[in-house]
Amino acid sequence: MRKKYFSVCRISFIQELAYRSKFVVERLQSVLQVFLIFFLWDSVFSDPSREVFGYDRAKILTYVFGLLIVKAIVASTKASDVSGIISSGELTNYLLKPIGFVKYWFFRDISARGIHTAFAVVEAAILFVILKPPFFLQTNLMSVVGFLVLLVMAMIIFFLMLTLVSFIPFWLVEQTWPPIFLFLSISEVLSGAVFPLDVFPEAIQKVLYLSPFPYLIFIPIQVYLGKVVGMELIRSLLTAGFWMVGLMIAVSWVWQRGLVHYRAEGR
Amino acid sequence: MERAVIVERLTKEFEVRERRPGLSGALTSIFSSKTKMVKALKGVSFSLDEGEMIGFIGPNGAGKTTTLKILSGVLHPTQGFVQVAGYTPWERRHDYLRQISLVMGQKNQLWWDLPASETFELNRAIYEIPEKVYKRSLDELIEVLKVEKYLNTPVRRLSLGQRMRLELIAALLHKPKVIFLDEPTIGLDVVAQQKVRDFIRQYNKKNKATVILTSHNMDDVADLAKRVVVIDKGGIVFDGALSDLVGRFAKKKIIKICVEGSVDYKKLERIGTIEEAKMPLVTLSVPRGAAKMAAAELLQSFPIEDLTIEEEPLESVIRQVFGGKG
Repeated sequence: MRKKYFSVCRISFIQELAYRSKFVVERLQSVLQVFLIFFLWDSVFSDPSREVFGYDRAKILTYVFGLLIVKAIVASTKASDVSGIISSGELTNYLLKPIGFVKYWFFRDISARGIHTAFAVVEAAILFVILKPPFFLQTNLMSVVGFLVLLVMAMIIFFLMLTLVSFIPFWLVEQTWPPIFLFLSISEVLSGAVFPLDVFPEAIQKVLYLSPFPYLIFIPIQVYLGKVVGMELIRSLLTAGFWMVGLMIAVSWVWQRGLVHYRAEGR
Repeated sequence: MERAVIVERLTKEFEVRERRPGLSGALTSIFSSKTKMVKALKGVSFSLDEGEMIGFIGPNGAGKTTTLKILSGVLHPTQGFVQVAGYTPWERRHDYLRQISLVMGQKNQLWWDLPASETFELNRAIYEIPEKVYKRSLDELIEVLKVEKYLNTPVRRLSLGQRMRLELIAALLHKPKVIFLDEPTIGLDVVAQQKVRDFIRQYNKKNKATVILTSHNMDDVADLAKRVVVIDKGGIVFDGALSDLVGRFAKKKIIKICVEGSVDYKKLERIGTIEEAKMPLVTLSVPRGAAKMAAAELLQSFPIEDLTIEEEPLESVIRQVFGGKG
């Protein structure tokens, strides 16, 4: 049983390497983004004693570097292909096999994340040497464990949300990329991949923390930075857990209904 | 004997959105779109014994592929009862999916950028085929389909014929007991078609597999199936032996003659319709009942070296079943 999905990981890994140039471009894009954000914040905090929104230079630059790695772990994905597979009728191929479709894509995702994360770590190391930013090393065990647990949940939540959006073509066959693009853009901003979310006004933050988005990137990094601790950490873990379970139920519910609607066109 | 496939009063309706043609039609359809229900299957019933192989034929849009997709669990039916190998297909139990295979000539499951051997390896894991069984059945399939050379070439660099044979391997590695073949020889050259057909026949015999075959290539059907089920406009119009189908619908027989010297075509046309004349070979079609008399007359009145009487080609029989369509 477990071997089945391990094989999925394995072939997905080989496939990823078959598209070397595409992979390189994707990594380049991600590195450039970090460069850009790095220099933006670096100039804002050019005076080392300045503190904005509770961030000093070391913390904001750690945030930016954290972004590079956390984004690679959480938001690298293959599941964005799912909508195309449903709309083109290629889904038929998967339905014929004794394998769970959502599980299959989850494991393909894991292999994509693995490769991207490995590269992100190397890139971060290189950038670190070039840019020589001050780095905040978290030593509190609670914070490190909390960070790791949230990271795993973030991965699952992101995958489930994307999968849910990818099911739209079950009903609207032509809606493949637009909803995914919209979702990715929204989640980029609301998850904190562009700027830390505590720059938003208090009221907006409160609403935002009820949504699943901050738990993708912002909260995990906050936990690492030691800005979310104690009761607040527990509340974050519970909220993320709530979303994870809720989305699991939603995905399996929508999947079942989608299948009844599925028309296997074009194949 | 256990019935391998039971289909009773199967119906399937699709909702189709209507679009008026042209730019204005495209624009208005954004705001209001009419939908209508189309009946793809209107109460289809048939059944197969274990190990039986049937031809499932009909014109485009008759409902062949829809039926196969329901039988293989891909589509949910609107109404009706279906049981394959004791399972309800669309519940898609893994135990069921391990026993069947749907092979579609126009579809590929092989990973495009990787050698076919990688897909085989993945399928071994997905179908949980034990290592020994896998090796044996892979070696056997490679041998029969003669694809050893292509195993380690990325699939996208292979020809259609090579790819199709590898597709067959990917679809049959898990030794399915029930196989749905949808146009398995489409796009293949005559030699490759024959290879695939020979293989299907062997597989059916050796593994006592139940096979439903759809094809527009009547050679496939004539070569492989003793029994045919004919579907048209979502309903079964014939279910029986292939020879009965020919007997029922064929109105003509074909007489082929080889003449010595020259003949008067006008005189020949009084006996039957000249379908083809490539001297010294002439092909005539005559009414079924009059074939013997026509042959006798031909032998008597013309300088004939050789004469054969044949059934009409299956294609033209089928064309008559569907009243000119096909």
